[in-house]
Amino acid sequence: MIGSLSRQTPVIVQGITGRMGGTHAALMRAYGTNIVGGTSTRSDMTEAAGVPVFTDCRAAVLATGAVASVAMAPPEETLAAVQEALAAGIKLVVTVAEGVPLHDAIKIGRLVKRADAVWVGASTPGLAIPGQIKLGFLPDVCLRPGPLAIMTKSGTLSYEVGYRLANEGLGQSIWVGVGGDPVKGVRFADLLPVFFDDPRTKGIVMVGEIGGTEEDECAEAYARLGPRKPMYALIAGREAKEGVSMGHAGALVHGGSGTLDSKTARLKAARAKVFSSIDSLIQACARDFRFSKS
Amino acid sequence: MMLIEADGKALLAEHGIAIPVGIVVADGRPAQLPGPGPWMVKAQVPVGGRGKAGGIKRCLTAANAGAAAGAMIGTSLRGHPVDLCLVEQAASGEERYLAVMVDAASYGLRIIYSAQGGVEIETAGAAQGRLCPPHPGGVAEALAELLANEPDAWRDQIAIIGRRMAELLLAKELALVEINPLFVTETGCIAGDAKVVVDLNAVGRQPRVAELIAARSTVYLDANRKLTEGFDYVELDPEGEIGLVTTGAGLSMMLIDELTARGAKPLNFCDIRTGQMRGSPGRLMRVLEWITERRSLKVVLVNIFAGITDLGEFADLLATAIERSPSLKVPVVARLVGRGAGAARNILAARQPGMLVTEDLEEALVRIDTIVRGATR
Repeated sequence: MIGSLSRQTPVIVQGITGRMGGTHAALMRAYGTNIVGGTSTRSDMTEAAGVPVFTDCRAAVLATGAVASVAMAPPEETLAAVQEALAAGIKLVVTVAEGVPLHDAIKIGRLVKRADAVWVGASTPGLAIPGQIKLGFLPDVCLRPGPLAIMTKSGTLSYEVGYRLANEGLGQSIWVGVGGDPVKGVRFADLLPVFFDDPRTKGIVMVGEIGGTEEDECAEAYARLGPRKPMYALIAGREAKEGVSMGHAGALVHGGSGTLDSKTARLKAARAKVFSSIDSLIQACARDFRFSKS
Repeated sequence: MMLIEADGKALLAEHGIAIPVGIVVADGRPAQLPGPGPWMVKAQVPVGGRGKAGGIKRCLTAANAGAAAGAMIGTSLRGHPVDLCLVEQAASGEERYLAVMVDAASYGLRIIYSAQGGVEIETAGAAQGRLCPPHPGGVAEALAELLANEPDAWRDQIAIIGRRMAELLLAKELALVEINPLFVTETGCIAGDAKVVVDLNAVGRQPRVAELIAARSTVYLDANRKLTEGFDYVELDPEGEIGLVTTGAGLSMMLIDELTARGAKPLNFCDIRTGQMRGSPGRLMRVLEWITERRSLKVVLVNIFAGITDLGEFADLLATAIERSPSLKVPVVARLVGRGAGAARNILAARQPGMLVTEDLEEALVRIDTIVRGATR
């Protein structure tokens, strides 16, 4: 689903009459995303950000044929928003709220699985295929078509990495923010087959964090699938205090698990390249891809 | 966020799990020790590995217990200040390990059991885990499998504890409930320890958890700050030299890692969320207030990557916040990149002449280094 997104993919924005929803629907449209409508509980508005507003997802999907949704709902309303989208037949849901409760995320995950849909979130800045489509609010200044697939837990750190790579002439084939929550939709390991199968992608950049097991799972999958494309990893949080989460609920280390050292060791064993500074990662990518700039 | 043991045990007790009788003390003069000895004196810090770090002492006399608490309080254990000790009656029995946690990858629960409880559980390799869906039936099935080799007399007792732990986790929307050791005897089970991780995102609809956090303003300083201020600020080193005003958790963490690798001493982690400032310098002033409370501060680094935020507006708020922060006596270096960076540079050149404003992180870090070394000389 993620690899086949394009300029044609019909997308709705849930909560389009809100402050965030309206702003980002307009920005996504300006980028070229095929926003075909939005939903709102406000009955007095029939149009927002230049597209029709529907009372719910079912009506929006019936009228527009939308297959993807960006849910601009507050954290405690995100579960209901996803339920509504799935019930209407949406196959890709992107949720952007920061602070979705953990047990709501579990419920969302189970619903998405049952519906055989794809969920990016809970808290993600979104995803993009530069030059084609952007779902969420990845900054345009960082997006540039190119050979590198980026997958990232952090928004801001990936903006920094993507922006500096773009300044080196290295753009992105696909960019997916998986988010910093412990329980989430798409995980790093899920994206490897997508990136391996994508002809535009020549290399993979992983921007990870301490805490959880995602980097470990990804290392295991990378080794199992065969490292068909080079992977460059940056992991933030070396200096985080044990037992204290640093902004992201998922970035929490207990005992020896989830530490930077254990993740680094597993990724290296799987033959990924692991870097301890943004600069060193940028330089390695620039060196390896300087003939495949686009 | 992990609760201290005393609060974790309070939740266990409220869900029908027996705990030793105990009291929480803030100094070495516990007025009335619970019951007859021996007692366990345990530093109340939200981190594992306390025993090995000297944060748990078994005491035979009341005088020793008081002295042990007095010696621990005021120290630091694995990076956390010890403000409180739990003094409780020592329990005994066969030691088991039992944990119920959210399993992120399966959208369910993971139950872990080991017939060898105790401090070495992580390395003993004897623990077994089962995944199950997040409801009582699934939990009961998983426990039955895990406890199959226990004697009949104990199996049901331990299973009841496991079911109650799962009920607690689901009812209070927790991430983890762990008991290690769980003391088991012919007459019943008692929780020797409690490791409970709460979800700060659910606190708004979990009044009991909210109450526990609010009741301890110093132990849960960072969590209370997050809940009242709406953004993240964590002090890393009270003797840090570089105050950080940054947005984004990942970028802030990475900046701290890179500064530390260069031998610099960052004071704090900060995810100020520029998108939520809505035209008010309030958040910036709060962060400057906390940072400038530390006398070791030598420089403030503002690092903002603006995807959506307009840096012109941000620069105005930053200049206002600096003007209204008389406690700020050290230089500020601003690395601003993204939307409106040019306008931001002009605004700060006019309102804060002398401040280095750059788009280049490396240039900012070199300047920081120069200022810190100059101030130390």
